[in-house]
Amino acid sequence: MAATPEIIPYSEVRHDLWRPLYGASPLYLTVVFCLLAVALWGMFCWGYQLHEGIGVAGIRRPVFWGFYLVDFVFWIGISHAGTLISAILRLTDAQWRKPVTRAAEAITVFALMIGGMFPIIHLGRAWIFYWLIPYPNSRLLWPNFRSPLLWDLTAISTYLMGSTIYLFLPLIPDVAQLGQHATGWRRKLYRTLSLGWTGSDREWDALERAMKLMAAIILAVAVSVHTVVSWDFSMAIAPMWHSTIFGPYFVVGAIFSGIAALLVVMSIIRKTLHFERYLTPHHFNNLAKLLLLMSLLWVYFSVAENLTVWYGNEPKEMQVFGARSRGNFAPYFWVMVFCNFVVPFILLGIRRLRSIRTATIAGVAVLIGMWLERFIIIVPTLARSRLP
Amino acid sequence: MGVQVSEQTKTEHRWGMAIDLDRCTGCQACVAACHAENNLPLSDPQSAAKGRAVHWIRVDRYYEGEFPNIRVKYMPVLCQQCDEAPCEPVCPVYATYKNAEGLNVQVYNRCVGTRYCGNNCPYSVRFFNWFDPAWPAPLELQHNPDVSIRMSGVMEKCTFCIQRIQRAEADAKSEKRPLADGEIQPACVQSCPAEAMVFGDLNDRDSKVSRLAESGRATRLLEELGTKPKVFYLQKAE
Amino acid sequence: MERRNFFKILSTVSAGIAAGSCGRKSDVLIPMLVSDREIVPGHEQWHPAVCGECAAACGTIVRIMEGERVIEQGGQKFRQRIACVKKIEGNPLDPVSGGRVCARGQAAVQSLYHPDRLHGPLRRKGARGSGEFTPVSWDEALAAIAEGLGKAKTSDPDKIVFLTGPRPGARAVAIQKFLAALGAPAALTCSLGSLAVERKAAESVFGWKGIPVYDLARARYVLSVGADFLGSWASPVYYARQYGEFRQGRPGVRGRLAQAESRMSLTASSADEWFALRPGSEPAFTLAVARLLLDDKLARNPEQLPAPILESIRAADLNAVILRCGVDEGRTRRLARELGESEAPLVIGGASIVQTNSLQAIQATHYLNLLLGNIGKKGGILAPSPEFSAIPENAGAAAIRSARVLFLDRQNPAYTFPFAAGVTKALSDIELIISFGGFIDDSTAYADWILPDHHPLESAAAVVPAVSSRPAITVAVPFVHPLYDTRPIEQTLSDIAPKANLGLELVTPKAYAEPLLPGDRTWDDVTRQGGLWMENPENPPATKVAGLKPEWPDAVFSGDAPRFPLLFQPYLSLQYHDGSGANLPWMQELPDPASSAMWDLPVEIDPQTAIRLRVATGDWVRLESPAGSLEAPAYVHPAALPGVVSMAIGEGHTRYGRYASGRGANPLSILAPVFEDSTGALAFGATRVQLARLEQKPRELIQFSPQDREQGPWGYR
Ligand SMILES: Nc1nc2c(c(=O)[nH]1)N[C@H]1C(S)=C(S)[C@@H](COP(=O)(O)OP(=O)(O)OC[C@H]3O[C@@H](n4cnc5c(=O)[nH]c(N)nc54)[C@H](O)[C@@H]3O)O[C@H]1N2
Ligand SMILES: Nc1nc2c(c(=O)[nH]1)N[C@H]1C(S)=C(S)[C@@H](COP(=O)(O)OP(=O)(O)OC[C@H]3O[C@@H](n4cnc5c(=O)[nH]c(N)nc54)[C@H](O)[C@@H]3O)O[C@H]1N2
Ligand code: SF4
Ligand code: SF4
Ligand code: SF4
Ligand code: SF4
Ligand code: SF4
Repeated sequence: MAATPEIIPYSEVRHDLWRPLYGASPLYLTVVFCLLAVALWGMFCWGYQLHEGIGVAGIRRPVFWGFYLVDFVFWIGISHAGTLISAILRLTDAQWRKPVTRAAEAITVFALMIGGMFPIIHLGRAWIFYWLIPYPNSRLLWPNFRSPLLWDLTAISTYLMGSTIYLFLPLIPDVAQLGQHATGWRRKLYRTLSLGWTGSDREWDALERAMKLMAAIILAVAVSVHTVVSWDFSMAIAPMWHSTIFGPYFVVGAIFSGIAALLVVMSIIRKTLHFERYLTPHHFNNLAKLLLLMSLLWVYFSVAENLTVWYGNEPKEMQVFGARSRGNFAPYFWVMVFCNFVVPFILLGIRRLRSIRTATIAGVAVLIGMWLERFIIIVPTLARSRLP
Repeated sequence: MGVQVSEQTKTEHRWGMAIDLDRCTGCQACVAACHAENNLPLSDPQSAAKGRAVHWIRVDRYYEGEFPNIRVKYMPVLCQQCDEAPCEPVCPVYATYKNAEGLNVQVYNRCVGTRYCGNNCPYSVRFFNWFDPAWPAPLELQHNPDVSIRMSGVMEKCTFCIQRIQRAEADAKSEKRPLADGEIQPACVQSCPAEAMVFGDLNDRDSKVSRLAESGRATRLLEELGTKPKVFYLQKAE
Repeated sequence: MERRNFFKILSTVSAGIAAGSCGRKSDVLIPMLVSDREIVPGHEQWHPAVCGECAAACGTIVRIMEGERVIEQGGQKFRQRIACVKKIEGNPLDPVSGGRVCARGQAAVQSLYHPDRLHGPLRRKGARGSGEFTPVSWDEALAAIAEGLGKAKTSDPDKIVFLTGPRPGARAVAIQKFLAALGAPAALTCSLGSLAVERKAAESVFGWKGIPVYDLARARYVLSVGADFLGSWASPVYYARQYGEFRQGRPGVRGRLAQAESRMSLTASSADEWFALRPGSEPAFTLAVARLLLDDKLARNPEQLPAPILESIRAADLNAVILRCGVDEGRTRRLARELGESEAPLVIGGASIVQTNSLQAIQATHYLNLLLGNIGKKGGILAPSPEFSAIPENAGAAAIRSARVLFLDRQNPAYTFPFAAGVTKALSDIELIISFGGFIDDSTAYADWILPDHHPLESAAAVVPAVSSRPAITVAVPFVHPLYDTRPIEQTLSDIAPKANLGLELVTPKAYAEPLLPGDRTWDDVTRQGGLWMENPENPPATKVAGLKPEWPDAVFSGDAPRFPLLFQPYLSLQYHDGSGANLPWMQELPDPASSAMWDLPVEIDPQTAIRLRVATGDWVRLESPAGSLEAPAYVHPAALPGVVSMAIGEGHTRYGRYASGRGANPLSILAPVFEDSTGALAFGATRVQLARLEQKPRELIQFSPQDREQGPWGYR
């Protein structure tokens, strides 16, 4: 893989990067249309569920939490792609990060928006989801701050707000640039969004400092968000949920799936928008190494989690452990191990095999594996209740 | 060894139950009684097959030993009205909480349906309304007007027949007299032919339930979880 | 009595009349002008009633409160406020229920408000059995029936068959008088819970009329042979109450229970010791215990036994006898010793599953009680209370096959008789079938006329309970309006009589009970408390032990053993009893005690057979007998006897309302038509079967708690 970055003239950069903003290809429109259809279908299904009752989603006693919350945890995990990665890279001043961060930050915001929908869809009475919002209602009732769900709500809304700012701040100079060159309504829009950016040194300096600060804050928030998400489970006294390791385990899993998502998104952008010169093998190589590292970390946590349970041999925990590893959840469990460990370890661990293509394949595998991981964590525990 | 029950509280009453497994025959009269009293949703084969049948009280069955020296044990399980109820802190909207008389109450109007409480109840006694309940007419004429019908999307569970408790307290109050031990009988307790269940006030040291709860045969379910249930199981004496 | 119940009773019937005794302050004085049934109470009222679900006839109290029903008139819907039954509880004054009811008793209210209840008289429209009917007026129906009866009366009145429940009382007398006026034979029953064999055994050994009362609560050591007295035998609520006392009701004394039965019934589950008898070896087992008692010199009263029986016991080859039962000799010896040494031993004998030798089995337990000196003793076996009317005998299939006219009062011969008995076919051929059923069930579908009876909760009643610690007639007067255009059977019969030129007076519960009232009590007194409960006579009915032939036969099973290697033991379940409870959704969703099955019933198979046939819980099996076959899901029951297949009776109705129709399989249908000799009761445990695994699963076995700790539901143990 190439190591030395290519020097590209500025005008060319502008041309390449701005191209997608002007005019849409038929392919693009088709994709948008398809996605719109998917979204409408989803809305219809949700309407149906609201009308008929949450039972149509197939959840049952005692597995009170199902796909919706698997999806929730998964997408919140994906959201760590961005902010967290870009913040780490920013704080460690990794120079190669620059072309990567924007995609990462955008993934965060969108993944959060998607992830945030699921708890609402999951509610039995979704139309009153706002009762969870901490404000005293007409009867001066506050929500219950002891409930991890409230911590969740707080953490996720903080994260959404923080990561939106974090996405937006470095966008300012770019938007200002666009504002200078655009015409018509676009000019107005970009002007407004650029908040009167002139590009002075003072402004750059302030932006740099703001970004450093935001990076530090967002890092803390991101870690706490997935820790709090993990506490939805580990605060419960259910076997194999009630575990101290869940905080870091979930954070690691989140970064892991986040990087995977980032790799996949980048390779799609690279292909479809012809950004081969900006998203170079160098970037993929570095991200792939990061993915490999996270895979190993994930394995470490998974082993720590399962080994202690197995060694401890506590009957209730063993029931869940057994259901996962040998019972009828075993296929999911072993596919997860394959996707999250074997695939990245072989494709990315062996240097000869490491390429943009294999990195993308590994990314897809990890996304599948991490979805399964969320499933494996949530469902078998509930399926093995303590009493019959 | 007996269990410490007498964490008497300052409130007037602290309701508890003792279930004598030596008397219980597994006849399930209690299960039917709870349906009749509390307007439980009807299941049908399809919903039951999906695990959506509702029984606020159920009779768990355990096998011990091997044929022919096998024994079968029955154990009625209802909400244990835990003092340290794991279902309570996790509810984001206080739809389930501990009332002044120690009951773990469920406020249907307040429940948003997160089902978190159901996950965190180690006794699996919480039931969710996956759909609006329906009764083909005129079955609904049987409905107990003292108990509200639960809508789609809310959690429900054994209430210790709180409507009967309230009624008895109101009657006693209007007659300016204290409640007598045994005056309140939840529907399951009332029906039990073997008189295996005893309901009463754990704050009253002399109540029958207190005495049974402190007897040597008393144990509590999943005691190791520290949930401090107020349902006491009296083991079979041999 | 508990305070609440006391008030309940006081504030019940005729609050106006009984204003002086009005209990709760919040109660309103109800004007005397308004009859009880006109009152639509906004406050709860409690009225005494009688449970109509089985022969135990528990006294109940019923909670009445307002409700709103929708009626249609001229295409328009109206809402009507009516008094509704909300809850059934036991009548605390009643000596049988003592304030308790069983699950089926609770669910009786669902048959009152069942969506498939018939709204009025019907005439058959389609072919016999098609279940197609058209509404008719009472007059039309009664006139047509009277005409048909008139013909039968003159030609062959012997062929008029009236099937009714095994419940003595006012209705039994009304039916008796009606049949007498017709010159027809006495009413018969085809209920599986008729307890005919128990009655016969008591009569043959002790000369008693009725079902003996076992004084369980005061016994110390109980051996029960074949009687599932906590499940569905005799009087479950009465015996469960007694059982509670027996176990934990006496300070410092805990009764011990040994159950000898070929199935892990509820009673066997509760027992301290279970003797898993080979089906039909009850007489042998009892003989062995008797012999051991004699050997150990623990028989207190050997001289009470007629000499030939005593000799026969002494002559028994103990080892061979125990071998016949398939139980452990050491345990049996210990049992006999503990029983004999107990201060208050008691032997309960019953035929929860009727076999060809059930009479001898129960007689044998009576001999044991004689040996132990238990007759008429505290904690022993007590003489039955008087029944105050005749009890219908068991109907043989032949009687039904040869009938010209058939009356059906809550009897369902098409369901309770084996298919091979030819009853279903006979139902197509009988000239005139009149059903009083409130539902179209398997048999009522064949009726020419349906004259729906009131629901028991809408009728007056006077019923004699099967088992009672003192002479009792449980009574009720109506407290809610009949929901539909129905009539009590007594009324219908007396309405038919003049049309058929029969001299017949109306037998009401009041007319029936009044002559039996002691001088100091009126009918109103009795209805207010829910029963007439008399003191036990100073001198209990004489016991004259009859000199019977000593017989200890094993049961005979129909079917050829090599081809049909397994014994089939259908049993009465706590949900459905003899199948009559299957139309109630609460009973359908009541989890089966062993398998936790709902909305269907599995075939119970022992683990060895299951392994041999590669059957797991939830797999489907075909059960084949010499007389037929059925398909059902399997439940591998760890406590089932090797080689014995059980199945609860209840599902498999061709027709019985929306909740039972076409659901599951009827185990009775595949039985060989074998009847107990002395009573004609169906020997429903006398058939052999073979079992095969089916490859397909037509449906999943629905279980409420599929997670047995014994078998992980998710495939992992
Ligand atoms: N059929 C019938 N009608 C009646 C009555 C009756 O008994 N029967 N009673 C009458 C009387 S006395 C009254 S007071 C009224 C009461 O009428 P309502 O005020 O409509 O009372 P509820 O039915 O209790 O509904 C209150 C609503 O508040 C919601 N809720 C619960 N917690 C919160 C919260 O934190 N925030 C918000 N925003 N909403 C919340 C519940 O889900 C519910 O939808 O009804 C009157 N109408
Ligand atoms: N679970 C639950 N409990 C609740 C509520 C809830 O939403 N859910 N809501 C609460 C609220 S807001 C209220 S206002 C209360 C209402 O509680 P209650 O005041 O108990 O209201 P009702 O049930 O309507 O009872 C009124 C009684 O008065 C009787 N009655 C009717 N008309 C008359 C009359 O003219 N004279 C007399 N003397 N009696 C009459 C009726 O038969 C009825 O028995 O319930 C409270 N309790
Ligand atoms: S009613 Fe009583 S005896 Fe019957 S199962 Fe319930 S607790 Fe046990
Ligand atoms: S038994 Fe379950 S529902 Fe009841 S209080 Fe305890 S945790 Fe809550
Ligand atoms: S389901 Fe209802 S009661 Fe349970 S935690 Fe959620 S909001 Fe609270
Ligand atoms: S106490 Fe009441 S609500 Fe609870 S199980 Fe018993 S009958 Fe049902
Ligand atoms: S034992 Fe029979 S009579 Fe008594 S409540 Fe149960 S079904 Fe009714």
